[in-house]
Amino acid sequence: MSLLEALPRPQVSWRQWQPNSVLIFLACAMLAAIWLFDVVSVAPNRIVSGEGAGLIDAVGWLGALLVTSVIVTLVALALQPSRHGYQVALVGVLLLLLLMPFGLMVASNRLISGDTPGARLNMGMAYWCLLSFLLLCWVELRLRLVLLRRWTILLVLAVGLVWSLCATLGLEALALGQEFRARDAQFWRALREHITLVVVSVAISIGLGLSLTLLMRRYSKLQKSAFAILNFLQTIPSIALFGLMLGPLAWLAAQWPLLSQLGVSGIGWAPALIALVAYSLLPMVRNTYIALEQVSPDTLEAARGMGMRNSQRFWQVRLPLALPVLLEGVRITTVQAIGLTAVAALIGAGGLGSFIFQGLGQAAMDMVLLGALPILMLALMADAGLGALADVLRPRSDTARPGEIE
Amino acid sequence: MSHRVSSFSLSSPNVPAAVWPALWCLLLVACIWGFPYAEGVLRMLEPDAKEVVYHRASLASLLGHHLLVVSVAALITIVGGMLAAIAVTRERGRDFLPLVAQVASLGQTFPPVAVLALAVPALGFGTLPIIVALVLYGTLPIVRNTLGGLQEVDKEVKSSAIAMGMTPWQVLRQVELPLAAPVILAGVRTSITINISTAAIGATVGARNLGDPIIAGIVNGNMAYIVQGALTIALLALTVDSLFERLQELLRSRLSTA
Amino acid sequence: MIELSHVSKRFGDVAAVDDISLHIEKGKFCALVGTSGCGKSTTLRMINRLIEHSDGEIILDGHPVAAYDPVKLRRRIGYVIQHTGLFPHWTVARNIGLVPRLLKWSSADVQAKVEELMSLLGLPVGEFAHKYPHQLSGGQAQRVGVARALAADPDILLMDEPFGALDPITREKLQDELARLQSQMHKTVVFVTHDMDEALRLADHLVVMRDGYIVQQGTPLSLLQHPNDPFVESLLGGLERGLKQAALTRVKDHMSPMGPTLPAQSRIPAAFSLLQGLSMMLRDHTDRLTVVDQHDVPVGELTLRKIVKEAQPEQGKVRES
Repeated sequence: MSLLEALPRPQVSWRQWQPNSVLIFLACAMLAAIWLFDVVSVAPNRIVSGEGAGLIDAVGWLGALLVTSVIVTLVALALQPSRHGYQVALVGVLLLLLLMPFGLMVASNRLISGDTPGARLNMGMAYWCLLSFLLLCWVELRLRLVLLRRWTILLVLAVGLVWSLCATLGLEALALGQEFRARDAQFWRALREHITLVVVSVAISIGLGLSLTLLMRRYSKLQKSAFAILNFLQTIPSIALFGLMLGPLAWLAAQWPLLSQLGVSGIGWAPALIALVAYSLLPMVRNTYIALEQVSPDTLEAARGMGMRNSQRFWQVRLPLALPVLLEGVRITTVQAIGLTAVAALIGAGGLGSFIFQGLGQAAMDMVLLGALPILMLALMADAGLGALADVLRPRSDTARPGEIE
Repeated sequence: MSHRVSSFSLSSPNVPAAVWPALWCLLLVACIWGFPYAEGVLRMLEPDAKEVVYHRASLASLLGHHLLVVSVAALITIVGGMLAAIAVTRERGRDFLPLVAQVASLGQTFPPVAVLALAVPALGFGTLPIIVALVLYGTLPIVRNTLGGLQEVDKEVKSSAIAMGMTPWQVLRQVELPLAAPVILAGVRTSITINISTAAIGATVGARNLGDPIIAGIVNGNMAYIVQGALTIALLALTVDSLFERLQELLRSRLSTA
Repeated sequence: MIELSHVSKRFGDVAAVDDISLHIEKGKFCALVGTSGCGKSTTLRMINRLIEHSDGEIILDGHPVAAYDPVKLRRRIGYVIQHTGLFPHWTVARNIGLVPRLLKWSSADVQAKVEELMSLLGLPVGEFAHKYPHQLSGGQAQRVGVARALAADPDILLMDEPFGALDPITREKLQDELARLQSQMHKTVVFVTHDMDEALRLADHLVVMRDGYIVQQGTPLSLLQHPNDPFVESLLGGLERGLKQAALTRVKDHMSPMGPTLPAQSRIPAAFSLLQGLSMMLRDHTDRLTVVDQHDVPVGELTLRKIVKEAQPEQGKVRES
């Protein structure tokens, strides 16, 4: 066997030039979206679907030129990437994010005349595309620049502040805002109900989960069947479990008047809470169990060698070391509960989900958004907050969160 | 971290694992076939209702539609999700890896209901927005697990595969994918289980599937309807999930023993 | 034949390998030795283009490596690494037959080759062919690794700390077997290790590297006799350098003819090393040994004086001839 058989084909060496293709791709997608799709649409009232308006109609030549030139600058920066270039690009992305509500204000001034007070301005396809691509750019730049969490939070807060200021001061015509003003008391109540249900169910499942885990660690026979049952519960679709809760609770409430005086009934918060706890137990118990089990046996052995008693070892060594993974379980559980609580609105538990289902029922899309967007934000906030907490508690050596790319 | 830990199985040690899918499936068929004849039993749940057997559509057709929507979505998500994950782990697509990994893990924070709700304003009512929402949401666990599986493949194994003179395609086909298969399969399982559940909520936006009887039951206060829908869909979910459990077991045993 | 001339590899601004030149004759065993991070593995991996070199030229069989198709090139070069890199989802037999199958050999040829290699490396076919890598001990796994590297009869064998993760006893056994295989097959071997004793035992040509450049190269004996740098000297064992040198020198080459005096009581085979002779003298409290051939017939004698004064040969080492 000779090496010569491998000979032919001359090789060309190339690829010294490495542009950031991600940013270029995202920027091009943004350009395509804002020029091809409708940026906003205007509807005379709540139910009628609106009439679209392109970029130039919405913000005029000057605005269109401004947005386009910022995006083109992003492309230019991405062609020859450097740390400095990324910083400038981040400023550009922030600038666009800050300009977006002003764009809406300009559009509402240009497109809505004074004689149609009920007219509503809707954000169009291009607007949503631009927003989501900008957020992707943001994530990309954050990863490239290895931004610290506190900077990220600070910048997000700043952008959020400007957005909310704009929304309260200059955007009477925005459909989402009108929808909100029409039912703000209802909104705050729904938000409160939603958060309460989530917090209570997570709190209960933390307590139950911890005790179940401790029992499982003591009686190892319990482990297999407990996980089998929890897994079984988790597999049942949420809508089915919520539905199946209705009957038994209605019956119980009918049997014991005391229960119904306490507010327990077939529909409402009681069945929702039970189903939520049932769903939350699996991730909770699983993570708690893994968290306690994964503590290095060497460390525990060392603790024993130093003469720590069993309870001391548990409280001073095992639990603190398990805490980050345990919190990971709380994070997963909470995020999941926020989503499931939305489904619970179907059985009258209230919460933000009621806007979604009412909105879907009335074909009022703004109302659907009024429910869905806050749920999304709640989930993201819970995820970020609990993730940050777990990071703080994590021993210094490995600060990367699982799932995050170093 | 939200994919299942597969080492905890549903089956108890003395029952062979193959029994579970068969059992759930049998019960599912019994429900579909039996509910129309079970008026007496259902009447006990709702003595006062005008009707107790769900007649607007046969459970079989609802099940068929449900399965169709979920399978179409699953097909698209599996192909799309795996291709995306494979693409960003190759040399050329590596630029996109951090972003895609981040989005895949961040995206799982989005509640499926919210995704479904957001798809409706964009696409209108009916089956299409449901499929789109299921695809959007279901792709994430698959991308995430495929990425995880591919990245978990021992670097030494990969580099020795290259050093032995395997082409990139051979490395992917013969080494990376087989070794990542258990993790990918776990992702597919998560994705499909979530999608069966989310599709049912789609009944509120006008898709005809097993969510229908439940919604109708809640709206009319008819517990019998709810039971028919809820039992059928729960059994469907359990059947599919236990099938995956079985598949994973087969894969594990094939990978680890002679 | 492998020829590296002024080869460098830079990762960003850091030079992992800095302007090294190296000439390895066909059929020779070349060991690259150095502390971790000295660029020895990088050098190895540039030969089969797992890493592309930045500067200079690497020539295999008269052609620069850059001219070969990398995939085909690698199929012609055996490669063994520390943690074996065996495919965990394939059986031992399938792992060994990998490269022949990539080269589209007929399945009968593949099977014959696999069986031949397994018996060559002391792995009974019936017992091991259908095992999976996780069922093997470290030593067995590395035998499979070596068999896999040899499967397509490559001219060149690259070995990256192949025995680094094994316990001392298994390591020594595998070193012996590698020496035996090499004496039969005469591959061109490039062997990376941080274990100087291993390198001294196996190599024809020793290359000591530090911080990406070559500090000294030559035959093991020439390095032992004339280390040109304190670093090389410390790698070679400092004060124990003399013993290592004695270990590489044969009794045969230093015995004197039988003297007129009575033969000494203690006997040593001619093929043994001077170090073993010295040890025997210490054990038996004597300064004289009788050298015998393989039939235990006295052929000469070895004195302490001779060992001490004349352990400066130009001759080869134990394994040659």
